Amino acid sequence: MNNPSLFIPCTVDLFLPEIGEACLQVLRKLDLVPVYHPEQTCCGQPAIHAGYVKKAKASAKHFIEVFGGDEAVVCPSGSCVCTVKDRYPELLQDEPDWRSRAKELAPRVYEFSQYLVDVLQVEDVGGAYAGKVAYHESCRVLRGLGVSEQPKKLIRAVKGGELVPMQGAEVCCGFGGEFSTNYPEISEALVSEKAENYIASGADVLVACDPGCLLNIGGYLHRHHPDKPALHIASFLAEAIRDEKR
Amino acid sequence: MKIKSEQFKEVAREELKTRHTRAHLDVIGLFIQEMREASMATFPDPSAALELGRAIRAESVERLPELLEAFEKKATANGAVVHWARDAREANQLVLNIARERNIRLVTKGKSMVTEETGLNEVLVENGLEVFETDLGEFIIQLLERPPFHIQGPALNIPVQEICDLFLEKGVMKEPTLEPVELGHAARIFLRDKFHHVEMGITGVNFAVAETGTIINVENEGNIRLTKSSPPIQVSVMTLEKVVPTMKDAMHMLRLLCRNCTGQKIASYTSMDSGPNRGAEADGPRELHIVILDNGRSTFYRDPEAREILRCVRCGACMLECPVYGKIGGYPYGWAYSGPMGQVLNPLMIGQERTQDLYRACTFCGVCKTVCPAGIDHPKMFLRYRAHDVEGDSRYNATRRPWPEAGFMEMFTWATKRRWRWDLGIKAVRPFINRQVEEGFIRGLKGPLEGWFKSRDFPAMPRKTFRDRMRGRKE
Repeated sequence: MNNPSLFIPCTVDLFLPEIGEACLQVLRKLDLVPVYHPEQTCCGQPAIHAGYVKKAKASAKHFIEVFGGDEAVVCPSGSCVCTVKDRYPELLQDEPDWRSRAKELAPRVYEFSQYLVDVLQVEDVGGAYAGKVAYHESCRVLRGLGVSEQPKKLIRAVKGGELVPMQGAEVCCGFGGEFSTNYPEISEALVSEKAENYIASGADVLVACDPGCLLNIGGYLHRHHPDKPALHIASFLAEAIRDEKR
Repeated sequence: MKIKSEQFKEVAREELKTRHTRAHLDVIGLFIQEMREASMATFPDPSAALELGRAIRAESVERLPELLEAFEKKATANGAVVHWARDAREANQLVLNIARERNIRLVTKGKSMVTEETGLNEVLVENGLEVFETDLGEFIIQLLERPPFHIQGPALNIPVQEICDLFLEKGVMKEPTLEPVELGHAARIFLRDKFHHVEMGITGVNFAVAETGTIINVENEGNIRLTKSSPPIQVSVMTLEKVVPTMKDAMHMLRLLCRNCTGQKIASYTSMDSGPNRGAEADGPRELHIVILDNGRSTFYRDPEAREILRCVRCGACMLECPVYGKIGGYPYGWAYSGPMGQVLNPLMIGQERTQDLYRACTFCGVCKTVCPAGIDHPKMFLRYRAHDVEGDSRYNATRRPWPEAGFMEMFTWATKRRWRWDLGIKAVRPFINRQVEEGFIRGLKGPLEGWFKSRDFPAMPRKTFRDRMRGRKE
């Protein structure tokens, strides 16, 4: 197995770089040396979702040029992976060459936990965590990629970590990119319910596989329940690995 | 029915604050969702059943013109009269004419979305007919003069006290009661009298079978059956996409419809009409009229992007599962069809200009598409509508986006093309984003992102991007 290429979403690049570093730490723990293409930017999802599909073609083409030669592309965001897999071929439908490049790349792009469990066949990355963990099923991870068991397996394998059920785990947190600023009241109704369910689950930490959800849920928790952490799966695993060494 | 889709945001805000709306939506969330899932699980192979339904609907829509002609031929041979209506006005006029020519004064109605769409009740009432909705929920909202809250539970959100007051005021009953069963009984007694005297019954149609010329209705109250069997004249209004090829197809779609609609394997009443009373039969109408309404649908049929929408069977699974609908209910959508079903349909029916919020108030969670037994990709349609706006596509009555957004997207996509541009962009926006940071978090920002901060904080933009950190590592 060659070393994977790391695709860092713009949300992580700009606001949550520690998630990217956590990905590196976990992959290195598995004796991999991830490749990082410094010319990568953003997959273009914000423009696609806002309807600027013609303009977003440029973003898609740049992505394909940067990552097209990689055997496996790993990304700590389910929704960005979905953009590449589902939206690119559609976006580029009237440019057959680009479209076939997009389709050819699609199956080689993986969400982080999916890559660990399905490709590397690793369920136990080591690490220890003394506490209860709730898992939020990010929409595009669960319904977009069909990934749900993979992160749960990784969490369960952490020594001392107890995965607890959470009511409405698979219900949207209300992020939706521009939705969260265009419809703040509806978005708040959804994210506050997510926070309530997390607290009611009795978990000590909430884990998710998408930085979008984490900006939303984390941002809400920071305002209303600052003692309740929400972590990306990579950050959770990297911390567990660090804690075990201690 | 007056269209109020442009007031989406205001009505949604109101509904979020309405205690009764929230309480009833939570009930839907807890019970009906579970019943839906449990009943779907009774299929020997649920995902195969779902796929078969999707295939049937895809075939039905692909073969639409041919199937409609076959249906008309069969239904006519069975003794029904088939009428074609180009739009809502024509459909209403047709029904009105049937009533006038026969001197009809009293009409009962079975619950029907299509007559909500055409606003048939208003037209009949304006022309001096007495019209009674006979589905309990539909009866209540008719008296209240409100749009349906939910496709199957139109009055689900109305408090018992309000129903009691309403029934007293409208003479449905004489003594006040807050017992739901007694309220239901009062409505039943009141409506039973109408059924005794009804001259014309109007219903919608769940499926029309091309193979046999049969129309099928499902319901749980028995009012549609009474509406069909009591009066001498029956008028059933359907939109043209209701047709399926065979009776076997219809049976499978009924299984899916009932499970997705109300979590039932089969509805309490399923009635099929293959023609009027043939003379020697105990009941059934003397005349059966079937009105087939287009109202823009043949245009969607010709549009390869929009054709898929015609697959919808109005089961309501999408709205039961939609997280946004689950918070705001049916009123904000402002028309007969609410939830994801309305969000894909209404922009085409009434133009994008008036329905922008419908295809924007979506988080792309994809649950609608996942559960849809007809195989509609709602999120993809929303993306298309948004793209129509950006392009200012006049075919869809789309409105161009405001220039600050267009300008931002221009710069944003320009920046994604080269990393140096991306870095330049980050340098430019960082001081703007970070202008008010407290302990690593932004607590408020004025401008287009203001909404976020009503209930949430946002992490400040670190001095170094991930890429900067990687560069530092190598050096």
